[in-house]
Amino acid sequence: MKNTHTFKIAPLLALTVLLLFGFTTKQPSSAYKCMIQMTNYTGEGAYIVISLLNPQGDYEKTIYVQGDDEEWYHDITEWWKFQGRKRTDIDAITGATISGGERAISIIEIEDEFIDRGYKIRFESAVEDQDYFKDDVEFELTSESVKSKVDGKGFIRYIRLIPQ
Amino acid sequence: MTISIWRYSHMILAVSSAIFIFLATVTGIILAFEPISNQIKPYAITSASNLSLAETIETLQNEYNEVVTLKKDENDFVIASVITKEGRSNRFYINPFTGKKIGDIIKKASIFEFATNLHRSLFLKSTGRFLVGLFSFFLFLIAITGIKLIIKRQGGFKRFFSKVVKEEFAQYYHVIIGRYALIPLVIITISGIYLSLEKFDVLPSNKITHTKTQISENSKKIAVKDFKIFNATLLNEFKHLEFPFSDDEEDYFVLKLENKELYINQYSGDIISKGDFPLPLLASNLSLKLHTGQGNFLWAILLLLTCFAILFFMYSGFAMTLKRKKRSSSKMQNISDKDTAEYIILVGSETGHTQRFAKQFFEAMCLKTTSVFIDQLNNYTSYKRAKHLIVFTATYGEGEAPSNAKNFETLLDVIKQNQTIQYSVVGFGSLMYPNFCKYAIIVDALLQKNKSFMPNLPLFKINNQSLEAFKTWLGQWNDSTSLNLKIQLNKPTINRKKLSNFEVISHTEINVDDTFILQLRPQFIQKFQSGDLLAFYPEDDNVERLYSIGRVEDNILLSIKRHEFGVCSRQLSQLTQKTMIKAKIRRNLDFHFPTYAKEVVMIANGTGIAPFLGMINDKSNDVKAHLFWGGRTHDSLEIYSKFIDKAFNKKTLSSFHVAYSQEEGKKVYVQDVIQENADMIARILNTDGVVMICGSIAMQNRVLEVLNDITTEKLKQPLSTFENNEQIKMDCY
Repeated sequence: MKNTHTFKIAPLLALTVLLLFGFTTKQPSSAYKCMIQMTNYTGEGAYIVISLLNPQGDYEKTIYVQGDDEEWYHDITEWWKFQGRKRTDIDAITGATISGGERAISIIEIEDEFIDRGYKIRFESAVEDQDYFKDDVEFELTSESVKSKVDGKGFIRYIRLIPQ
Repeated sequence: MTISIWRYSHMILAVSSAIFIFLATVTGIILAFEPISNQIKPYAITSASNLSLAETIETLQNEYNEVVTLKKDENDFVIASVITKEGRSNRFYINPFTGKKIGDIIKKASIFEFATNLHRSLFLKSTGRFLVGLFSFFLFLIAITGIKLIIKRQGGFKRFFSKVVKEEFAQYYHVIIGRYALIPLVIITISGIYLSLEKFDVLPSNKITHTKTQISENSKKIAVKDFKIFNATLLNEFKHLEFPFSDDEEDYFVLKLENKELYINQYSGDIISKGDFPLPLLASNLSLKLHTGQGNFLWAILLLLTCFAILFFMYSGFAMTLKRKKRSSSKMQNISDKDTAEYIILVGSETGHTQRFAKQFFEAMCLKTTSVFIDQLNNYTSYKRAKHLIVFTATYGEGEAPSNAKNFETLLDVIKQNQTIQYSVVGFGSLMYPNFCKYAIIVDALLQKNKSFMPNLPLFKINNQSLEAFKTWLGQWNDSTSLNLKIQLNKPTINRKKLSNFEVISHTEINVDDTFILQLRPQFIQKFQSGDLLAFYPEDDNVERLYSIGRVEDNILLSIKRHEFGVCSRQLSQLTQKTMIKAKIRRNLDFHFPTYAKEVVMIANGTGIAPFLGMINDKSNDVKAHLFWGGRTHDSLEIYSKFIDKAFNKKTLSSFHVAYSQEEGKKVYVQDVIQENADMIARILNTDGVVMICGSIAMQNRVLEVLNDITTEKLKQPLSTFENNEQIKMDCY
């Protein structure tokens, strides 16, 4: 009798905890200016997704998406396995595609708790009918790396980050 | 059916790419609304075009924490990407004077998103892009062959925009709209092809190459608002400005103008490096602008109209093709060989009308004799046992051979016949063209000169596929040969429900010329005026009979000659007052009274006077009217005289000239009276007056000859100049 009582309380407790942490604790975050410089490839504008990976290498959240036509999102295969399932609203963090030779500057926000904790930032890129690069740029987030320049392996020549 | 290579390719290209072009056109219509709907948004600050970039930058830097980019889009809306004082990153339309936000960025509506994808790649990615590019190229070829066809049809490049002869609705408007839509169509297709090619790495690179500029060593730090280049650049030349990424000296401003890109030192304002847009990039930008109509309201509307024109071309083009196919569908089956047949029929046909007549003649011959052979003029060869040659031919352009007769002249020269063959030539054409049956005349002359041929019947010309005329010729043919051919010319079907009722108001006695005047009133109000036609369809044969209408008050006045064997005129002559008769009004816009002219000359013979009786009584005094009429005797005029007297009394008729051909003494024809008044005619034509002719074809031909003499002699110009100027209106039968 007593046992069943506890079982009834348990989910309620869990919910309360979830609500408390989910809504009250807004993590402090910082804005970073991010520049993506593309290589001189020819063809359509590239879709680029910036996401945060946890220390295990799994997707934690989507930080920014260059490319606003959802139709082509499935071309960014790895990320789409994550985003396609969850379908979080990314309208606010979406910009236009960037073509070869161009560069784009955007403001991204990263919670401070992810810095120096083994989390990584990943830039995936895909161009219609051409290639897809799962980790065009990928590096660990440290207080040093967030003000650096990192070269890309695919369509991205380099990216630069500086704290705002 | 034979058709010229141009028409054939025009059609084949259209048929093969129809589905794709249809898709592209429909999506094109949708997409044309995007620039239109964007343009009407209130974000453009027109007065800002003379504002300097430095001023806008200064306002923005005061208003916001940081500016990332500043851009002017194709609609001249200024977009700033900024970090606000609250530290939030944002992008929106701004007022360049105040730097304040005036609106959120227009998100491309999903319908446009969808249409764009379908329009440029059919959702097939690269394959789709290739197909779209290819069919765009096809459409370009269709336009080019179309131009060629119009030039041929109109009889020369100079006559490209002259009047088009109206034969059928689809054909007429295909040409009319084609002439105007061709130019935007060529622009759309070329720009479309360019945009497609761009994706396939076949064009020269459109990358900007930068060249470093010499910088003076001792440049000092100055405020951004004092930068020379920003002060010199006005908002209307400016395209895009990217602010330096960081405070590092090596980060710079990137400024894009209409045709170049500049890197600018963020502290001194010196131009570090300069890159002109290469030609392919400029071409690409221009193609995009022309193809999408971005930023230009009027051009977008024009693109939209062109899309509708393409849809109409598809409809009318297919309608014409089907019609043509129907006309020449059942192929002619020769039973005899060319060397065994006594009767040889050769056909020169461009659109298939002439072919139809030839086929019916051939079939009628087959019932009487087996020794008939039918072929195209181009296949002219030796005919060992031939006794008769019958040529049916149309004329193309300005007296040229139709496409399946082009080689006839050469072949006739080369190939010799062993025996003498009797020949008859029937020409098909339209009197609306200046060179009526010209090619038939040429063929007739060629045969006459050739020793192997002997005339059987004189050249016979048929206007507008007239069944009556064809029957007349057939009669002559039957008389000249022992064959008694009967041709059942297809009885057309008529939907009698579409005919209207007309009440007989009055009916004059039949006069010496077997002519009478019939006045009818439509049972229900209908729009009509003098010069329109009233069509009767006697139940015996359902063949349309047209009579010219003269509008007298609200009645339809018809002048009808009763023919001995005329089914329709006989029926009409027996009508009594108050009976109802079924008929249909045919508007005849080309033969309406020209109220814009100062003076009008009306020429008629016999019953052709009917529309003029209406016109002279129904017009204002502003336009002077002169009536010329040719009849047989004094008595012929009597039934018309009361209408003419009335017009004289009202002063709506300035002069009346009459010619009698059967009176004692001198035979005078209407063209003789016109010759007597040559000075007046010349003066009227020279002052933009109009000559209207109504009556028999024979009279028309004589009158046109006289008119041509008058204009060449007195005005030093051929009559065709005035015809092209629409100063000659004709309605003859």
